[in-house]
Order: sequence, then C-alpha cells, then structure tokens
Amino acid sequence: MKKPLVAVTLAAAAVPMLIGVAALPRPGDPTAPAHTHVAAHYIEAGARETGADNRVTAVLLNYRAFDTFGEVLVIFAALAAVIAVRSPATPGGRADDMPGPGPGLPISPVVAFIIRLTAPFIALFGAFVIFRGHVSPGGGFQGGVILGALLVLLSLVLGRGAERPLLAVPLARWLQAAAPLAFTGVGLLGLALTGALLGYPAEPERHALRELMMITLDVGIGIGGAMIILGLFLEMRGD
Amino acid sequence: MSQAFDLVMLALLIAMALAVARSKDLLAAAIIFSGYSLVMCLLWQHRGAPDVAMTEAAIGAGVTTILVLLAIGRTRRREK
Repeated sequence: MKKPLVAVTLAAAAVPMLIGVAALPRPGDPTAPAHTHVAAHYIEAGARETGADNRVTAVLLNYRAFDTFGEVLVIFAALAAVIAVRSPATPGGRADDMPGPGPGLPISPVVAFIIRLTAPFIALFGAFVIFRGHVSPGGGFQGGVILGALLVLLSLVLGRGAERPLLAVPLARWLQAAAPLAFTGVGLLGLALTGALLGYPAEPERHALRELMMITLDVGIGIGGAMIILGLFLEMRGD
Repeated sequence: MSQAFDLVMLALLIAMALAVARSKDLLAAAIIFSGYSLVMCLLWQHRGAPDVAMTEAAIGAGVTTILVLLAIGRTRRREK
C-alpha cells in the first residue's frame, strides 16, 4: 500500500523537475534570459558603476544590497532562535535537562599544537578574503566563515566553559549583530547622501567613499558571520 | 575532457547522496555529506563560480558538518 504511493509521489515530483531541467537553456547560451536582461548591464558597467571589480560583490553589496540585508538578518535570526531555544527560561524545562554530550575527551597535544601553529595563517587568510572581496572571489560571507572556523578551533584549545569566555557576553552580542548594524549604518548614510536606502554616491570623485562603504559592509558581514558561527557552536555544545 | 570531469563529479554526487540517505549510522552520514559538499565545491569551481565554491567549501563542508556533529553528540548516533 505504502510503496506504490511513494513511487507515485516521487514520479509526480520528478517528472516536472526533469522536464524543467531539460527546458533550461544550454550553459553559456548568449540568448539565455539570464544573460540578456540586467546581467548584461551588470557585466558591462558593474565595475565602473560600483567600483567593485568582482561582479559578484557588485551585485551582492550594491545592485542587490537590500537582498543581502535580508540575508544577514536571517542569519542573525537563526542565532537568536538557537539562543532562545537553549535559554534556561524556556517554559517546560531548563536547558540542563537536555541530553548533553558525555564528558569531553581532553584535546590531544598534537591537535592543540597544530591549531596554535596554523591559527595566525588562517586569520590572515580570512582577513585577506574579506578585504579583497570586491576585487577577487571572496568577500564578507566567505571570509567570515573562515574566521568563524578559526574561532571554533581556538575555542577548542583556549579553555572550555562559560566561566572564562573569550569575550564578555554583551560585547559578543554586539559583534554578533555586526552585519545588520553595518547594513543599517551604510544604508542610512546612503539615504542621507543620495536619498535612497543603501544608495551609493554615483559621482566618480566619490570613488573612495563608495569603496569605504562596501568594505564596511564586507567587514561587518565577516565579523558578524564569524561571531554567529562561534555563537552557534558554543550554544549547541552547551557552554 | 571538461565534460568528463563534470560527469564523474555528478556520478560521485549521486552515489554520495544515496549513501547518506541509506546509512543508518548518522556519524558516517554526516561525514559523507561533508564529502558531498567538497565534490559540489569542485563542481562549482569547474563551472566558473569561485565565489560559490568558496562558500560551499566553508559552509557546506565545514560549518554544517560541525553543527550536525554537535547535534548527533546531543542525541543518538544510530538511526532506529
């Protein structure tokens, strides 16, 4: 009874999807809709209009900055939800009632040594990816995840538990909100300068200001993303 | 040659997806899923999307795996 039903449901979902994939234009087809509407303008004028040689960043932080604002809010909301669920104030049970991991194994000296050895290089690479994001592939999201992974690694080595957190909790909360805060600040600055939320001044002589606004967004996304990844890790580990 | 690379990677993706779905050991499934993300990352890079490839490697293979492993640590390792 159940198996034919599963097969029919799968077929009903798979057939339209396969037909849709078959109807897609060939990769690289110059007449494909993705290459003819706004994308052509982004590729042709993106670097000149936004000052970002990397067109992906030009779209992320300039043409579609409002969408990116929504994305960073979603990531921040995810952390807020995890904190809310894990908070002892949850009705119906304290966080301590959850099945926790067993007593953690002491970290191996080899692992600790490797983490300490590679940490500065990872940090430099993360900062490089963030700051070069408007020129080469990379940017706040990618560099932020690299920094976040570094923070998770360091939290394995540099003590466990909430009794000695690396950062005071209120400061950590502000840093976790760095991406929405950066977008709000740059957005309001754009509103004051150009009359449009997240607008960038278009004059060629304001190039440095445009670049500064974009780097502010990238750094905000990077720091916020790294802190949110560390926050998720610590909350889920149960610190 | 270019097409052959894509085909091998896609075949690997399908095999890994099936392995994740069929595995009763959630730890093994999490690690295979991390490998799935790495193959996906190579595919993105090969198709000319380095930004997406970096994100896939960092978030898909790295952060997601860590979070899934933590969730397994707080529940059970084997699926019933």
